[in-house]
Amino acid sequence: MNVRLLALGDVPPRLAETVLAELPRPYVGGEIGRLAVSLERCYDRTRAQVDAACLIEQVPQPEPGWLLLGLTGVDLFMPALTYVFGISHLGGRRGIVSWFRLHPDGKGPDAASVLVRRITTEVVHESGHAMGLVHCVVPDCAMHRSLWPEGVDLKRPDYCPACLATLNASL
Amino acid sequence: MTMPVRILVVDDEQHIRNSLATWFREEGYDVGVAASGKDALAAVAREGTNILLVDIKMPGMDGLELQRKVRELAPDATIIIMTAYASVETAVQALKEGAYDYIVKPFDPEAVSRLVRKAAERYSLLAENRALRERIAGASPALITSGSPAMAKVIELVDQVAPTDTNVLITGESGTGKELVAHLIHAKSTRRFGPFVVENCGALAEGVLESELFGHERGAFTGAVGRHRGKIEMANEGTLFLDEIGDVPPKVQVDLLRVVQERELKRVGGSETIKVDFRLVTATHRDLEAEVAAGRFRDDFYFRINVFQIPLPPLRERSGDVPALAEHFLQQFATQMNRRISGFSQDAMAALMTYPWPGNVRELANAIERAVVLCRGDRIEASHFPFAGPPASADHSLAAIEEAHIRQMLAACSYNVAQAARELDIDRVTLYNKMKKFGIERP
Repeated sequence: MNVRLLALGDVPPRLAETVLAELPRPYVGGEIGRLAVSLERCYDRTRAQVDAACLIEQVPQPEPGWLLLGLTGVDLFMPALTYVFGISHLGGRRGIVSWFRLHPDGKGPDAASVLVRRITTEVVHESGHAMGLVHCVVPDCAMHRSLWPEGVDLKRPDYCPACLATLNASL
Repeated sequence: MTMPVRILVVDDEQHIRNSLATWFREEGYDVGVAASGKDALAAVAREGTNILLVDIKMPGMDGLELQRKVRELAPDATIIIMTAYASVETAVQALKEGAYDYIVKPFDPEAVSRLVRKAAERYSLLAENRALRERIAGASPALITSGSPAMAKVIELVDQVAPTDTNVLITGESGTGKELVAHLIHAKSTRRFGPFVVENCGALAEGVLESELFGHERGAFTGAVGRHRGKIEMANEGTLFLDEIGDVPPKVQVDLLRVVQERELKRVGGSETIKVDFRLVTATHRDLEAEVAAGRFRDDFYFRINVFQIPLPPLRERSGDVPALAEHFLQQFATQMNRRISGFSQDAMAALMTYPWPGNVRELANAIERAVVLCRGDRIEASHFPFAGPPASADHSLAAIEEAHIRQMLAACSYNVAQAARELDIDRVTLYNKMKKFGIERP
């Protein structure tokens, strides 16, 4: 399965390249692109957040054999929820990940590498959903649900054998 | 992750419905959505729903009204009320009317996930509880439901008496399964969710039995270092099963009679009167009428406990049950010992059928357990039984040996008389005559 990482707005230099290089099997190839989206259209002034459900509709349908994953730094919410790290169409090969709430406390090179690892893990997570996977009970599987940033650190940017088998079977 | 829990999100706002549906589908739940109370009721009736997330403010039927109607349609469904700050008071009203919890929009992802997970766990526990109750209610141990007319009669009696609070006396030889029948009465009674308390009255000295049954207060006797609740108290709201009631000493009979009549007791060494509510089931291998006649058992106590009697036939009078019971025990012990044994050889089954089983079902169970230990192949052979080989009966007369041989051949031929006659090299009429002479009946 090929992955196209799409910058939705400004993305730090080399972030997309680093994440793409870290993606595990069965993502065998990929490319990086940019997608012009209207954040304004999905912005909720009362909440000062961007509606993830609105934003993902601006990600186009992928062509066969491809999975589209948007990267953004805006704070995402879903109408019923106060925030989300990302959103995807379950099995629809489209998703979005935001790093707005993934920043670790403090600064420095360690913080930067933690952030990249968290983003990569959540990209693997949303890609899994976009490929049809649901949440996994294995604590260090990328498909385990994380509800706070430190929870992402408990996971690996990879799938457990059961999730990987499900994923491979769906290809 | 696959969870057999169905969630229905009921909200008139499409974006709320969709975002929650997306969220919970990612959790692996089976999620449906409904835009109104009417649609929700239709979905519950059509598909069944375990957890409903219901918006309290909806046009037409509001969340409170929907909750009441769902309660009638699906009493086990768990309802979580979704509300805005402005309608928290209504949500509290919903809680009073039986909602599981409420959550304020917009939800913290962690809070809503945790709440629904707890509700799903509650649903699973309720479902498990219900399944266990049904299993208990339908429990009929294989030992006593193997299909013979004699045991069918026992089960019929159990079914008749179980729903009442009548005292039951179970009679029968040792090893016939009296405790199992007592347990079955409890399991089929309205007290089945209460305790089932067993006391073997034959095994204890008078003083110890008194203390065991009635309990004692601290200092009641030497060694009574603390207060002790007796079996009768422990059986409160349940069933008290007194095995070997025929062995109870006269003094304890008097005390028991008082408890059975008055439904209250005093602990040994105590002055406080304690109310007790239990159903009494007793059992004995003795002929209690004879014991009463001999003056060893009080007639008033006998009449009190013998309101409804269930006699259990000995295994030799229901030899047709032996194959099913043997298979049952074989499966049980082979599983316990992790052995692959497919069944019994013809000789082994014939040996089981002809043995008189003085120790009844208990002896049969022991014999099969021993055979499973000894068996090295995939079938139990006759040589695995201690009684196989020479006739089990102490009677070495020619007639006894002839009877045993005929029984063995009939069993080996599954009671096909023509085939057994051929094996015995006699004609069918002769075999029928011999069966009549020895009182052998086809199962």
